[in-house]
Amino acid sequence: MRDWATQKAARAARIAAGASFARGKVVQAADLAPFLEAVLRPGDRVCLEGDNQKQADLLADALAEVDPGVIHDLHMVQSGIVLPSHLDVFEKGIARRLDYSYSGPQAARIARMLYGGQIALGAVHTYLELFARYFIDLTPQVALIAAVSADRDGNLYTGPNTEDTPTVVEATSFKDGLVVAQVGEIVDRVPRVDIPGDRVHFVVEAGRPFHVEPLFTRDPGSITETQILTAMLAIKGLYAPYGIRRLNHGIGFNTAAIELLLPTYGEKLGLRGQVCTHWALNPHPTLIPAIEAGWVEQIHCFGSEVGMDDYIAARPDIYFTGADGSLRSNRAFCQTAGLYACDLFIGSTLQVDLSGHSSTVTTNRIAGFGGAPNMGSDPRGRRHPSEPWLKAGAEADPDTPAPLRRGRKLVVQIGETFGDGNVPLFVERLDALALAEKLDLPLAPVMVYGDDVTHIVTEEGIANLLLCRDPDEREQAIRGVAGYTEIGRRRDAGMVARLRERGVIRRPEDLGIDPLDADRSLLAARSIKDLALASGGLYRPPSRFRNW
Amino acid sequence: MTPAFEPEALSWYEGSARQRIAALVDPGSFREAVGPEERATSPHLALFDLPEQFDDGMIVGQAAFKGTPILVAAQEGRFMGGAVGEVHGAKLVGLLRAAKSLALDVLVLFDTGGVRLQEANAGETAIAEIMRAVVEARLSGSRVVGLIGGRSGCYGGGGLIAGCCSALLVTEQGRIGVTGPEVIETNRGVEEFDARDRALVWRTMGGKHRYLIGGADRYVDDGPEAFRAAVRDVLAAPGRLDLATLDAEQARLERRLARFGAARDATDIWSALGVAEAPAVPGLSTQAFRAVALGRESAHDAR
Repeated sequence: MRDWATQKAARAARIAAGASFARGKVVQAADLAPFLEAVLRPGDRVCLEGDNQKQADLLADALAEVDPGVIHDLHMVQSGIVLPSHLDVFEKGIARRLDYSYSGPQAARIARMLYGGQIALGAVHTYLELFARYFIDLTPQVALIAAVSADRDGNLYTGPNTEDTPTVVEATSFKDGLVVAQVGEIVDRVPRVDIPGDRVHFVVEAGRPFHVEPLFTRDPGSITETQILTAMLAIKGLYAPYGIRRLNHGIGFNTAAIELLLPTYGEKLGLRGQVCTHWALNPHPTLIPAIEAGWVEQIHCFGSEVGMDDYIAARPDIYFTGADGSLRSNRAFCQTAGLYACDLFIGSTLQVDLSGHSSTVTTNRIAGFGGAPNMGSDPRGRRHPSEPWLKAGAEADPDTPAPLRRGRKLVVQIGETFGDGNVPLFVERLDALALAEKLDLPLAPVMVYGDDVTHIVTEEGIANLLLCRDPDEREQAIRGVAGYTEIGRRRDAGMVARLRERGVIRRPEDLGIDPLDADRSLLAARSIKDLALASGGLYRPPSRFRNW
Repeated sequence: MTPAFEPEALSWYEGSARQRIAALVDPGSFREAVGPEERATSPHLALFDLPEQFDDGMIVGQAAFKGTPILVAAQEGRFMGGAVGEVHGAKLVGLLRAAKSLALDVLVLFDTGGVRLQEANAGETAIAEIMRAVVEARLSGSRVVGLIGGRSGCYGGGGLIAGCCSALLVTEQGRIGVTGPEVIETNRGVEEFDARDRALVWRTMGGKHRYLIGGADRYVDDGPEAFRAAVRDVLAAPGRLDLATLDAEQARLERRLARFGAARDATDIWSALGVAEAPAVPGLSTQAFRAVALGRESAHDAR
């Protein structure tokens, strides 16, 4: 007769093997490498927690120290390849296969290792896709996670950076996998229970907090006047006419500029309460002035942001907070919220082609996707109406009768025609295609597909792709806002003029915006210090952002 | 509800050299010498295929300050980080010589990372000529006041020139030094000085620290009004430079070295100066900072 509980037995064997290194559930940090050798098996699917923000850094280092003669051919299924040790395990032969989502800081090294064949790549996912696969065909056998504190029963407090932890534990623990947590400290009673102890099998005290990257902090001092102009265009040309109340902002100086213009330029336009009230957004410090000025009703967060904890705790009407008063973030829920409950995503990118496809890949760097393709896509499963969604749907498809017409989420790409280092934003052919050829990938790593993009905003104006009726119009609409790039200079001037008459392209002057008004004095905060002052001293910026 | 915080109209830190001059002197009184229309550009930058600027990043001229004629020079930090080249330097030398012959005071609005690498020999020579001209102007009775609060700080040769001035006014964002953070890190390693740790950079070279150790005479807010008030103050004091002042300056520097030479970090110095909560100093408002700075090292006796 078939044994229907082999996985339970396997987990029991892992727990028994690990118990010899533990007192109760507690393992000493010094014993971590031999402990991991005892609980892991060659070929295991392992989730090492870490995304673009928090990192199980102690466990990552320990995993890179195990003997590849004992533990090898691991299949890593994790959100982020971020720490050097995340790739060391492949270099040392401890791990072989990889399915992941984001690799910003290791983009160059992971590209070299993929070219060199040291990593057998499954796929690069969005966060939400990878989480989904944890429950279908990439369920971890072992999860190595990070929390702020634990009690002796294994109850975990994840603090403001809960992020991926509940999802990883859910998939692992309820499918008879083993969960090992690193914690900053072991306490008698955790401030709040984020993960119940019966889902956690071992706990190791790191004696320090897990690493968190301040990824969402943008210094207002670095925002340029061109970025301010694009922000004015977005507010007056998109947020106002569509009435965007529910939205997500990508990372970058263009979106930071929008956030800092709300209490000044947005106020002048009378938009407070009309736009930008409900957000799926990390705790961006640049949103502080808008929050303080009463623009924002509520924000759900993927993760937290270094230095924002006290400010968040003092604004529980705005943020989701726990019984202990601190932020509760959750990446999976926030990604879902950004997909289904937001009417607009706006973000910057590195390259846009003539179909509107965009990518952040250059041939020598593979940064992965993170959450942007999920935020920056139109959810076909959406059924609830909203004004912006219906208006965009009508623009895209005026002929279908309204009751049978899909709405459209606004997916906006914003940027300067020449980006960092004067590199043109618009290209004939994405570098992502060259990369796909080089690595023999079935899919080019496109961040946002052209058919999901609804608008492109540059300092030259807004191209509304919803109003384009054929690929030619679409191409000329893109060329029409591409400025003095090669793409922009090869526009069909007559066709661009006709598109402008139809409102497909709108220049600053068409919207009553004088580019000379795009001045840094419009920013509600012009430095990190201004942000700290605007927060009443509650925002405590990390050292690297302080010029005082 | 209104925002809890409203920044001032013109930030000195963010302003251009011309905006700073216009807001500092009596309205409309500035008359530029060797202005952009004369196109006195660098003879070297074109060799490196680098863009030139018609004023070479240095604006000089005469203005009125509270009704009194005064000479003004301002470095444009947005052009090559305010770096000093041949023409840039020559314009300042000329202004300082004019100060001597016209018997006028001079305001120098520093914003510089030092000498331009592309014209290093000419730039270094210019620094030496400027220092000599500062001293000669001062010996003749003119006061040369340095204003420091721009993005590029006051580094390299700029730091040397600042050391020759009659008085220095500095903001919190202003930085004064000779060797910059990145150069220290490159030469001595990140353990010696982590140039990316901005809080470390500012507490070692920034305005508050320079003011506390007597490296600057006035600590001012980041705006033209604050600079105007401080300029008026220091111009009220008599200008002098003689052997006695130099002896006093030497004694002051020896005393400072003896007191703080062994300190590992700026906060050690602040504690030694009697500041109760040294780590809190960077976060203090101007008013609170002035209160804790009462026990600071005296500023230049030489000035």
